[in-house]
Amino acid sequence: MSSRRSREAPRITDDQIIQLLSKLQQLLPEIRNRRSNKASASKVLQETCNYVRSLHQEVDDLSDRLSQLLSTVDANSPEASIIQSLIM
Amino acid sequence: MNHCVPDFETDDDYFFSASANSKRHKKSAMGDEDIMELLWQNGQVVVQSQNQRSAGNKKSETMPSTAGREIRSGVIDEETTPSNLFMQEDEMVSWLHYPSDDNSLDLYLHNNDIPYPVLPSSSSAPATTLPSSLPPPPPPLVTVPPTRPPIPPLNRVDEEPSQPKFANFLHFSRSNKRGLAGSGPSSSKQMSQAITQSTVVESNIGCRGSMSSFGGAGTSSAGTGREPETCDVSASSSPGTGGSGASASVEPSSHKPPPATDDRKRKGRDTDDTECYSEDLEFEYHDPKKKSRGSASSTKRSRAAEVHNLSERRRRDRINEKMKALQELIPRCNKSDKASMLDEAIEYLKSLQMQVQMMSMGYNMVPMMFPGVQRYMPTMPAMGMGMGMGMGMGMDHIGMNRGMVPYPSVLPGPQMPNSAAAHMGQRFPVPRFQMAQVPIMGPGTGEAANPSDPMMNSFPTQNANQPRVPFLDPYQQCLGLPQTQLAQQQQQQQNQTGMAAVTSKPSSSKDVRYPQRHPTG
Repeated sequence: MSSRRSREAPRITDDQIIQLLSKLQQLLPEIRNRRSNKASASKVLQETCNYVRSLHQEVDDLSDRLSQLLSTVDANSPEASIIQSLIM
Repeated sequence: MNHCVPDFETDDDYFFSASANSKRHKKSAMGDEDIMELLWQNGQVVVQSQNQRSAGNKKSETMPSTAGREIRSGVIDEETTPSNLFMQEDEMVSWLHYPSDDNSLDLYLHNNDIPYPVLPSSSSAPATTLPSSLPPPPPPLVTVPPTRPPIPPLNRVDEEPSQPKFANFLHFSRSNKRGLAGSGPSSSKQMSQAITQSTVVESNIGCRGSMSSFGGAGTSSAGTGREPETCDVSASSSPGTGGSGASASVEPSSHKPPPATDDRKRKGRDTDDTECYSEDLEFEYHDPKKKSRGSASSTKRSRAAEVHNLSERRRRDRINEKMKALQELIPRCNKSDKASMLDEAIEYLKSLQMQVQMMSMGYNMVPMMFPGVQRYMPTMPAMGMGMGMGMGMGMDHIGMNRGMVPYPSVLPGPQMPNSAAAHMGQRFPVPRFQMAQVPIMGPGTGEAANPSDPMMNSFPTQNANQPRVPFLDPYQQCLGLPQTQLAQQQQQQQNQTGMAAVTSKPSSSKDVRYPQRHPTG
């Protein structure tokens, strides 16, 4: 590890990062179910990326379905407003 | 196959001479099978039924390749189609004539370790026998780099090693059209193979002919190792590969820039990393640093340290890469340091989860909402509980998002008064964050996030300011969902009017508000 003197920013401690990563890990559905202290940083990050992507996918999917639902509903009904509110 | 070759060779002349005779017999043959038999057994037994097939099978296999050349009749090898043969022959002829250099064949063959010693002779035979019906086409296939040893021995026919390689390639692409049009079904396989080959080879144009591609293609279709057939196959495949090679040539070039850019990007990132991150962080949750490898001797220790450093660096690079990838996924993440980026990632992830949960709930509940509403109303308190429970559960079991949605309890969501939400929140202090207290449905629930009325009033203004609420803000305000703001804007007035009446009794609020919703809808 070369010393970096490029900034004077407060040093971010490893513990800090580790804590954040563990928090992140708790959110991940897969890793969480196993023993939480097993995942490495790289794995947690990888899983997070995958999870975020899958959530994006799900949001898109739900949006599509909600749009379809919206089309079946009378435009002036409250349902329509609800559905529209759900769709981003 | 090798053992067949000598047979083939020896029988070649025999066959050629016999074929003429066999032709006559062939005409009297019943079908293709019979024809084959006849041809082969020309000297032995002229007219036979299919009984002879078994005996002559072996020969018949090798026969068609030569027979096709000679006879060009409907002699059908069971494994190849006549059209293939014919076309292959044409193709082969075209480029056979082009180089007319048989010596190259030897070189090529030897280089490719072709097990057929007879190849030169056999290949020359077709060259002489085949009529040059086709105009001299461009050199068949370009790319046959000597680096293709794995290509099956069918490679032979290197027609033009002496020809300029680049020219070959260009011609190759040009000849493609013709080849493509003419190539039979089996050649498509060859082409596909050849395509992959040509892509690789393209970079090694300084090679002899396209034989490797031929060979590879030939094996796919012929698979028998018959020389003439191989030649034919390769011939037909060459034009096909030519075209594909042309297209393939584009690919490698296209491949190059992306990796280059990736490398550049990566390097840029690395420098950014080194500059931005205050330190190299090694997140090792479970493993203590492995520095125990250093032994007493300095050299060993230094070596171990080097190895360790290398592995450390690799690991760090991996982690940095993933951090960058994550950063790209997070919208509007302008944080450069790891900790804040991770913070944002965490919040974003939570908000995404909440969003998905809301949407899925809404999706499931809306159809149920209006017709069957009355049924659910009386159970409001229970539903409130269910909702809170659902929220808490949702956070813990995101995977169950869809499953847990179809609560009738969700139904009151859109109509949930502020107090109800607060009420719910009190009952179920969802562990991690306040978002859980937010009523589920977007419309009408957003403002319920905070029990205070002022909060609600202020909410619309916030909505206006942040049409697309960054997840951070709603998150902090226990709203969590951008779309709830839209709903809130729509429902704001209704809710406000209903709020006063509602605040007192959650259970009654629903009754009160439900009729209100319809008129507004």
